[in-house]
Amino acid sequence: MSSTENIIDYNKKGLPPIFGIFGFGLFGIGLGLSILAYLIEPVRSAYNNVILLEFLSSIGIGSLFLIALEYVVGAVWSTPFRRVFEILSSVLLILPLVAIPVYLHAHDIFHWTHLEVVASDPILNEKSPYLNMTFFTIRIIAYFVIWILFHLLITHNSKKQDVTKDIKLTKLNTKLSAIFLPLFAITLTFSSIDWLMSLEPHWFSTIFGVYYFAGTFLAAIAAGTYLVIWLNEKGLLVKGIGKDHYYSLGALLFGFINFWAYIAFSQYLLIWYANLPEETVWFLQRWNGSWMYFSIFFVVIHFLVPYFALLSQPSKMNPKTLKFMSVWIILAHFFDLYWIVMPTFSREGFVFGWIEIGFLLLGLGIVIVVFNLKAKNQNLVAIGDPRLKRGLDFRL
Amino acid sequence: MSSDSLKYLEDISVIEGRPSLRSIDDVISKPLDTKPDTKYYIALAITLSMMGIGGIALIFSLYYGTGMWGNNNPVGWGLPIVNFVFWVGIGHAGTLISAILFLLRQKWRNGIARFAEGMTIFAVMTAGIFPAIHTGRPWLDGYLFPYPNQHGLWVNFNSPLLWDVFAVSTYFTVSFIFWYVGLIPDFAILRDRTKNKIKKTIYSITSLGWRGSNRHWQHYEMVYLVLAGFATPLVLSVHTIVSFDFAVSILPGWHTTIFPPYFVAGAVFSGFAMVQNVLIFIRKIFNFEHIITLDTLEKMNKVILLTGMLVGYAYGMEFFMAWYSGVQVEQFTFVNRAFGPYAWAYWIMVSCNVIFPQLFWFKKIRRTIPLMFVIGVFVNVGMWFERFVITVTSLSRDYLPSSWAYYTPTITDFAILIGSFGFFFTFLLLFTKTLPVVSMAEVKAVTYGAQPTHKDH
Repeated sequence: MSSTENIIDYNKKGLPPIFGIFGFGLFGIGLGLSILAYLIEPVRSAYNNVILLEFLSSIGIGSLFLIALEYVVGAVWSTPFRRVFEILSSVLLILPLVAIPVYLHAHDIFHWTHLEVVASDPILNEKSPYLNMTFFTIRIIAYFVIWILFHLLITHNSKKQDVTKDIKLTKLNTKLSAIFLPLFAITLTFSSIDWLMSLEPHWFSTIFGVYYFAGTFLAAIAAGTYLVIWLNEKGLLVKGIGKDHYYSLGALLFGFINFWAYIAFSQYLLIWYANLPEETVWFLQRWNGSWMYFSIFFVVIHFLVPYFALLSQPSKMNPKTLKFMSVWIILAHFFDLYWIVMPTFSREGFVFGWIEIGFLLLGLGIVIVVFNLKAKNQNLVAIGDPRLKRGLDFRL
Repeated sequence: MSSDSLKYLEDISVIEGRPSLRSIDDVISKPLDTKPDTKYYIALAITLSMMGIGGIALIFSLYYGTGMWGNNNPVGWGLPIVNFVFWVGIGHAGTLISAILFLLRQKWRNGIARFAEGMTIFAVMTAGIFPAIHTGRPWLDGYLFPYPNQHGLWVNFNSPLLWDVFAVSTYFTVSFIFWYVGLIPDFAILRDRTKNKIKKTIYSITSLGWRGSNRHWQHYEMVYLVLAGFATPLVLSVHTIVSFDFAVSILPGWHTTIFPPYFVAGAVFSGFAMVQNVLIFIRKIFNFEHIITLDTLEKMNKVILLTGMLVGYAYGMEFFMAWYSGVQVEQFTFVNRAFGPYAWAYWIMVSCNVIFPQLFWFKKIRRTIPLMFVIGVFVNVGMWFERFVITVTSLSRDYLPSSWAYYTPTITDFAILIGSFGFFFTFLLLFTKTLPVVSMAEVKAVTYGAQPTHKDH
């Protein structure tokens, strides 16, 4: 059978209802627990809400980054399932909603919002032109506007191409992506400084934006990989996606596991070696009390296990391994954010209870629910993309 | 449909036209079969003279001591370290092209990988000169390698300078083996072509009995893949550790966490510019224009644009964090860089590395050879100045204002720099006449029809 027929063969099929039910289940439980958490422990919940916000923005913006990358470099292997990432990036649309509770609790979690503290602290005083509520608000609105705008533009063109099959739309999206990528680098960096680094307003590290980017992209590829394999196994994508495509996704996961470790290690080693008090404070906090155990465990979870699991060539194409490791890496990214955020809240040692689980379930639930809703009214494959045929023919 | 749109639909062949396999062998091995012309000897004379200038300067430095250089308190690291970092950086493009792009299955690398890899080896050799002479007593450099000796003398394992010794020597070894393994099928082709008995004997030995059998190819592909896998983390580690030389200190302007990825990006940036510069000549002189195509050069220019912006990101981030840190001396360092006594060097760096490469946003410029050449030269100038700015500005304004000084390199410093270029280009010239500068076997794998697609199954 030739692949031209495969493209024509694509008939839109709905996602299995179990997917939606599962998603709504997670979402419901998560939302219930989170609301309860806000009633009982509002400050701890606000910190968890930061994790949730960054977790969702990782998956959303990371997916959009992958799409833009595909257009700019002219990749073909990922074209058959680019739509999956497009749908995933819809998570960006609800980010402002998730940010509202954090914003309302800004005074509880961001030390620099306390004007009397800032006035008496020379370092915070120096930073106040950047770290103040007005500028902070302007910035976070700017991030959301830029991200959502490019998400809408790029996915709109891609969907339009399903009908028109117009090559010009690919060219247009390539241009949009080229504009988006530098903006992405800047907005992602500063959003990570605003939401995460400024939790410890004295601390600074120039690599922090790169560190967050590594995790972001990893989480997005992992989420996409899981969905691509699962949808393909259910026969909801086009025929022709196989081991070669899986391998590429697996290799990307493996590559970025290494990249993340490289960046994390660089940050750690340089701060440890120079031993300057204004920098070491951040790592010392993560070595304080039971946080020490968490930090060690975290290296195993986020690097060693995925590294060895994905090292061999067969494991990078094995759908079972890939699906398992995708879920693993998504959770590892959640723990990464937890490791960045929570030591500010609980300085003596780590706390992990139903509140954290509730917000995690809420995060996963939101991703699945949004995906399910958005997948209903569009094709799951970019059937009008001129590169689709080449993408399906892709072999290692 | 325009040919421009066709690229979305079809896999465009990396090699232009449909040259026969025989003609590929012919054109690539031609420089080896023919006697070099006068121009070649003129070029060699120039590079050898440059090398001679460097050699004389070096002899003087060794005879009279390193006082011949501009290095002094507080700027103890001057041009030798700047040149070291510059040359190691040049080497990075080669491994990126030959190993990383191989792992990423970028077929356009096949035409340029051999040459770039050769440049890596020569650049690392050139770089190696500088730390060796910078010790001041190069005859004692053997002690850099830790071995049990009767003096009971051990190296400082905590020092990134020592990690450099390990990283660079490992990197050189693996690069060399990788390069050599890639050469084996080509040596066999040369062996089978040549009529000269001496050459035949040499090629027979170097081709290690290659017969091109299926089994040979299977093993070869596996070894090549594994070596590419080894070379990839190594190339990252080398410039990472070079960045550690600076970043593990507590000197403002040196100690900042973004240094490792920033140095790697900068190394690839300057290396690509150098490879692009040299290839422009090679493809013209040896008639490789259909093998090293304009498309390939355009792709290289895109990499230059990308890495240039990564470097720009790092400059911006350093500045922002210096301000954001609220640390006074940190802020002073960066203001001093941009507006202090070395402002001229800083602005050369920024304009060459960040501003000029932005011209590569325009397709027309990416595909115009004279313009891309000029931008490539700017990039290399800019990247040399980047290392100068990092090394010198921070040291010249250290913690103690009474010891501040202005560093000026001496004529000996510049002579050694010129010598390093002579050394590098002499090896490059010899390389073009002794070994196939393009991999014949790899290029054949990307000609038209070499890669059957699966659509017929």
